[in-house]
Amino acid sequence: MTEPRLDVQGLALGYEGTVFLAGIDLQLATGEIVAILGPSGSGKSTLLAELAGVLPVPQGRIIVDGRDVTRAPIHERGVGLIFQEPLLFPHLDVAANIAYGLRRHGWSRREADARTQELLDWLGLAGYGFRRTDELSGGQAQRVALARAIAPGPAVLGLDEPFSALDTELRQRLVVEVARMLREAGIAALHVTHDAQEAHAIADRVIELSSLGHAP
Amino acid sequence: MAGRVGNRHGALIVPTAPVWLRWTWLLPAAFLGVFLVYPVIVLAVTVADSGAEGMLGRLTEPAIWQVTGLAVVQALASTAVALVVGLPLANVASRYRFRGRALTQAMVTVPFVLPTVVVALAIRSLFGSGAPQGFWIVVLAHAYVNLAVVARIVGAQWAQHSGDYESVARTLGATRWRAFVDVTLPSLRSAIATSAAVVFVFSFTSLGIVLLLGDPMTRTLESQILRQTSVLLDFPGAAVTAVIQLVIVTLVLLLGAMAARRAPTRRGKPVALRPLPAAFIGRFAVIATAVAGLAIVLAPVVALVVASLRGSRGWTVGWWSSLGSIDAGTTRLGSPGAAIGISLTYAVVTAIIAAIIGTLAAMAVLTTGRSRILVILAIVPLGVSAATLGLGTLLAFGRPPVDLRATGLLIPLAHSLVAIPLVVAVVAPGLRSTDARLAAVAATLGARPSRAFWTAYGPVLRIVVVASAALAGAVSLGEFGAAAFLGRATSPTVPVQIVRLLSRPGEQSLGVAAVLAVVLVVITLVVVLLVDRWGAPARRTTRQEAIA
Repeated sequence: MTEPRLDVQGLALGYEGTVFLAGIDLQLATGEIVAILGPSGSGKSTLLAELAGVLPVPQGRIIVDGRDVTRAPIHERGVGLIFQEPLLFPHLDVAANIAYGLRRHGWSRREADARTQELLDWLGLAGYGFRRTDELSGGQAQRVALARAIAPGPAVLGLDEPFSALDTELRQRLVVEVARMLREAGIAALHVTHDAQEAHAIADRVIELSSLGHAP
Repeated sequence: MAGRVGNRHGALIVPTAPVWLRWTWLLPAAFLGVFLVYPVIVLAVTVADSGAEGMLGRLTEPAIWQVTGLAVVQALASTAVALVVGLPLANVASRYRFRGRALTQAMVTVPFVLPTVVVALAIRSLFGSGAPQGFWIVVLAHAYVNLAVVARIVGAQWAQHSGDYESVARTLGATRWRAFVDVTLPSLRSAIATSAAVVFVFSFTSLGIVLLLGDPMTRTLESQILRQTSVLLDFPGAAVTAVIQLVIVTLVLLLGAMAARRAPTRRGKPVALRPLPAAFIGRFAVIATAVAGLAIVLAPVVALVVASLRGSRGWTVGWWSSLGSIDAGTTRLGSPGAAIGISLTYAVVTAIIAAIIGTLAAMAVLTTGRSRILVILAIVPLGVSAATLGLGTLLAFGRPPVDLRATGLLIPLAHSLVAIPLVVAVVAPGLRSTDARLAAVAATLGARPSRAFWTAYGPVLRIVVVASAALAGAVSLGEFGAAAFLGRATSPTVPVQIVRLLSRPGEQSLGVAAVLAVVLVVITLVVVLLVDRWGAPARRTTRQEAIA
């Protein structure tokens, strides 16, 4: 294996000063999708929050593309996040939502627009650019959220049960679609879920969260 | 995002409505018609009487537009200062978990419930006798009063903010500041627009603060109206000024409502308070903001209490002991004690009138669909400003053929108009929070319609009516504008007495004014605290009933 996109070394999971899982080691290669399984409340979301820098890291190191980002601010880590809900910015239309990260990464307005159109086509949402976000169905909204997260080209993408709010049929279709998109984009994805079936459908490797580390 | 189910209580649906419930609109409509619409018509007729030429002449006078322009600038500056100080407070007090948070939130509300005359005197006491009169101190006083408006309205929206949207923006490459500008501010836009409009209107129509702290350059249309009626005796001129003010206030409120409406609404669920930031700097910033907020709120009040206990020769209780008689060469003023008695009487009468009319109006609003007009009528006094109300009432009922001045009812009537919107605002949600099915249950158990209504709505009505009456009384106690127009020289209310005392030289005047102000502070705070204590459990139980 060449240099991993994501290299987690001895990471501890904690919230408000209490560590509940320590010593996590995990490597993800380019385009690899790893599913982390665990019941609700086991700390799956904490893992993603620490990777993205939303929560501070109690112990350990997070290395993205060879760069130690353990203490880097959120916007300079190269880690994207998809939440359970799409969380599309309600004051921006669909295209502006997707273009948001591109603009923050220094793309010109024209480049960002062009790239946004590509992504919309790719998602099968061509012509939806000017829609308000509340006109989208649940599945469409989650696909837009995915496009928004992928657009600026993060090295790593954390997916926090992104399909759990959708109905079963839509979910199965979207899981396949998303897996294809992530591999094409070469993004290392960490998918946390409590649903073993979904985990096996999308991931190259499935790991129990509890087996990743040990009690502090 | 699909499938969000909201339980919106629309109209008050009483399955077995008693017949009289359909006629509750009659009394409020009659009251507002006689005491609000008629005076406004008289005002309009007075304006028209001065003739088209006379009116045009007044509208082309540069003086009135100069006052208007300065008042707009003053109100904009006040709004800006209130936002700059209020936004950090809103953030800290409604989002972070720390000891003293509830206290901070409660204390920030204090300046808003204090009578404006008291605030003016408190700010003046804070800066001492060499206080710089004029523009900036007026702006400061207005911002002080309205901190609560910004902190409460924006805070309520901010509290629903999980921070997830900001996290998304940050993971997409936005800096902390960028995420605030791109995500946080737009989501707060409607709250900011609403609170800014309220602060602007308050500052633009301010009277007591401008009279006590302003200089000849710092005036509002409100103080201009008072001058035109009491010094220049130019009633048509005052009426024209009142109309200009009404137009501007309406425009600003409309703009605020439009800005609030166009903003995306994201009805979030309440989010748990977050812990203090882990980093020392963040933690320090939160605590420092809260402490600074408390200091800003408390300093003028403390200064006021000190002023009531200090003379040129040090500490004294002399001002307090002269409450009963302040006759040394001041016979024209009447005793401070008498003013307190008059104010309390007016407050009680206002409380009764406003509670009855406001409660009936709230019932009418909720039971009949076509009571829009009533809502508008009940809300109008908020925008019309006290001086305009006072002027209209004076023109309509304060001179022959109808002269009610001797009855002593004019001031409570005007105060009721000011207080009715508040009563509606307290009673209506109380009624709405009650599950209408309770009345149906009572009916199925054999209760006649009226009985069923009281079974369902009686418990909450008893509480909200008393609470709103107390609030109406507090409003009456502190009201200055209408009382200044309608009061007779021999029997001033406490706020009017304070302003008169301050217009005379001498440290006794200042000391006794401070004593009166402290008395008002104590009464007002006690009333508001009682209402808060009382109202809170009521709201909780009604909600539990609704769920059960």
